[in-house]
Amino acid sequence: MKKKFWAISLAAIMLISILTACSDSDGASGDSEEEDGVTTLNMSWWGSQSRHDQTQEIIKKFEEENPDIKIESEFTGFDGYFEKMAASASGNNLPDIMQQNFGEYLNQYADKELLADLTEFVDDGTIDVEGVDDTIMESGVKNDKLLGIPTGTNALTAFYNKDMTDEAGVDISDGEWSWEDYEEYTTEISEATGEYGARLMEPQNLFEYYLREKGEKLFNEDGTALGYDDDQLLVDYFERNLELKESEAVPGYDTIQQIKGVEDELIARGEAAFDFRWSNQATALDSAADGKPLEMTMLPGSNNDQGMYLKPAMLWSVAENSEHKEEAAKFIDFFVNNVEVYEIGGSDRGVPIKEDIRDELSADLSETDQKVFDYIEMVTENSSPIDSNFPPQSSEVLGELQKIDERVMYGELSAEEGAEQFRSTVESILAR
Amino acid sequence: MIPKKDGHEKVEPQHPAKKPKDKKQIKAVPPNKKIKSDNKNVTGYLFISPFIIGFLSLTLFPILYSLYLSFTDFDLMGTPNWIGFENYERMFTNDPTFWQAMKVTFFYAGIAVPVRLVFALLVALALNKVVEMVGLYRTLLYLPSVVGGSIAVSIMWRQLFGDDGAFNSILATLGLPTHSWLGDPDTAIWTLIVLYGWQFGSSMLIFLAGLRNIPKTFYEASSVDGAGPLRQFFIITIPLLTPVILFNTIMQVIQGFMAFTPSFVVTNGGPVDSTLLYVLYMYRRAFEYFDMGYASAMAWVMLIIIAIFTALIFKSSEHWVHYESDAK
Repeated sequence: MKKKFWAISLAAIMLISILTACSDSDGASGDSEEEDGVTTLNMSWWGSQSRHDQTQEIIKKFEEENPDIKIESEFTGFDGYFEKMAASASGNNLPDIMQQNFGEYLNQYADKELLADLTEFVDDGTIDVEGVDDTIMESGVKNDKLLGIPTGTNALTAFYNKDMTDEAGVDISDGEWSWEDYEEYTTEISEATGEYGARLMEPQNLFEYYLREKGEKLFNEDGTALGYDDDQLLVDYFERNLELKESEAVPGYDTIQQIKGVEDELIARGEAAFDFRWSNQATALDSAADGKPLEMTMLPGSNNDQGMYLKPAMLWSVAENSEHKEEAAKFIDFFVNNVEVYEIGGSDRGVPIKEDIRDELSADLSETDQKVFDYIEMVTENSSPIDSNFPPQSSEVLGELQKIDERVMYGELSAEEGAEQFRSTVESILAR
Repeated sequence: MIPKKDGHEKVEPQHPAKKPKDKKQIKAVPPNKKIKSDNKNVTGYLFISPFIIGFLSLTLFPILYSLYLSFTDFDLMGTPNWIGFENYERMFTNDPTFWQAMKVTFFYAGIAVPVRLVFALLVALALNKVVEMVGLYRTLLYLPSVVGGSIAVSIMWRQLFGDDGAFNSILATLGLPTHSWLGDPDTAIWTLIVLYGWQFGSSMLIFLAGLRNIPKTFYEASSVDGAGPLRQFFIITIPLLTPVILFNTIMQVIQGFMAFTPSFVVTNGGPVDSTLLYVLYMYRRAFEYFDMGYASAMAWVMLIIIAIFTALIFKSSEHWVHYESDAK
C-alpha cells in the first residue's frame, strides 16, 4: 500500500508540475489582458537594431498618449520573421498588430483570411488617412478588403556616386537615360575610374522593372502564368548584363556573393558608381559611404515613368484573430498621423504617406532624408501604379530567376536557354 | 509475493500445467492484485517518465506527424489537405533542384566522410605516440570540433576563403595565383569539405581510445618476429581497430548526410546551387517557400537513404570487422 501511495503521489506531482508549466507559458504569451481597464496589444515587426530602438520609442510615446493601452512588442530580423508569423498563424495566434510585407506575403495572408478588414476603421475615422494618395492606399487592398495601411512609401532608386560620374563626364541627375545610355555610361565610368561602372543588377526586383518599362508585366492578371509572352525580353536583359560583365564594367557573382549586407555594398566602398535598390536603404548606404557623394535618380529606360512605381515600404496589418482590433487601429492611426513618429524613425519605414506630415517634417530633415523625400516626390510625379498580382509562389519564382541569372552570368547557360528554362520552370511551379 | 501465487492458482486451477506463458493473463484477472504485482514496474516507469514523456511528445509525435504531413500540402498556415503521394511524385519527377541537392550531398558526404575518418585516424596514431603533454595536444586538436558545428566557425571559414581572405593573402605572399574559392562553383564545395575534414576531433578521440586498447604485447611479439611499423599497422592496428572504424563510419555517414550549417552560413547554397546540401534545400522548402508538406516528404526520403546506408555498412561489417571475442 505504501508503495502505491508513493507511486500515485509522484505521478500526481509530475502531472501538476507539467500542467502548471504549460499554463504558465500560456499566461505569459496570451490573454492576461484587461486588468484595471488596460488593454494589452501584441505587436511584431522585423528590422535592424536601429529600427527596434526607434519603434520602441514610438510605442512609448503612444502609451503615454493612450494610458489604457499597453503594447508588448516582439521583433526579429527579416530572416525568420515570416517563419515565426506562419507558426503563429497556424496556432491562430497572430499578434494584434503586425508589420506586413507587400506582394506575395500580403496576398498569402489575404487568401488565408488571416488579416482584418480595416475599411470600417477608416470609414469611422479611427484611422485617419484623409488626403493620402489613392495609389498608395490601394497597395494595401486585396480581394476588395483593406488589409494593410502603408507605413511609408518606397521606390526603386538608381543610386550613383557623383564623384565617379563627374570623372567620366556623365550626368544623369534628371533621370532621363535609356538602357543604351546605362550601358555606355557604365563602360565609360569603368574606363575612366578603373573601378566597376555599376553593381551587377539584382534580378529579383529589377527584371520586373525592366518588364514594366517595356509595357509588360511579370505575372498575368490573376497570377497564374508569366505576364509577358516574348522570351526575347529576358534574353535582352541577360545579354545586357552579360556584355557589361564580360567587359568587366560590372562584377560577376563571385564578387557579389561576398558582399555582407547593405553597408558592405560596392557603391558604399567606392568600387562601383551605380547601384539600383530601394530608396529606404539610402540611410544605411549614406552612413556606410563615409562622405562619398551618393545621389538618387530614376532607373534607366526611355519609358521609366511607366516602369517606376511607388511601393509601400511595409504595411501595418491587424490580425483577424485579434480581440482588440479597434485599439490596434488606434495605434496605426497614431503611426500615420503623428509627426513625432517620423522625427524618431526618419525614412526608415519609407516616406510618410501624408502630405502634411511630410511638409511639417521638411524643416528639419537630415540631408539624407531630404534627398529621399525629394526623390519620392519626383517618382510620385513620374510613375505608374504598382502591380499586385503576385501569386503565393512568387518568392519561389523569383528565387528561380535569381538562380538562372547566376547560371547565365557564370556562362553555364546561354541567355536564350536561361529565358526558356525560366519560363518552363515557372510554368511548372505555378501549375501546382 | 506469496499470496500472489495463491491467487493465481485459485483463479485458474484448470490449467495448472501452463505456468510461465499464461502468467500475464492470470495476472490480469484480479485488478487489485495486478497493481500490487506491477508495483516494481510502475516505480521504474515513473523514474524514466521524464524521458518517456519527452520522447513521446518531443520526438515520436513530431516524427509521426511529419510522416502525416508528407502526404499533405501543409503550408504552415492553413489546414493540411491530404494529397497522397503527390509530394513524393513531384520530388522524383518534377524537381530538378531536388536532384541537384541530392547530387551535391552525395558528393559532399562521399568525399568529406572518408577525409575526416582518415585524418582522424592519422592524428590519433600520432597522438598515440606522443608521450609528453598528451592532454594539451589532445585538447588543442579537439578544439575545432567543440566549436566546429557552430555559426562562428562557419563565418570564420567564409572569411578565410573569401576573396580578400587569409588563404588568398597567403597565396599572394608566396607568389601563387589567388582564386575566388567561394565564388567559383567548382571550388566552393571543396571549402565545405575541408571544413568538415577539419572537425575531426570526436572521431579522433574515439580512435585514440581504440588504439589505447590494443595490448602492447602484440606489437612486442610481432617486432620480435621482425615486423616493421608499417606491417604492424596493417596486421595489428587496423584489424583490432575495425570495430571502432565501423562505429565512426556509421556516425560520420549519418552526420555527413545531415550537414546543414556549413552550406547555410558559408555559401548559402551558392554559387549556382553548387553547395546546396539536401538539408538546406529542405529548410528552404519549409521556411522560405512555406512548403512544409513537401519538406516533410524530403525528410522522410533522407531518413530512408540514411537507413539504407547504415544497413549496408552493418551488413558489410561481417566481412571486415574483427571482434577479438570471435577469435577466442
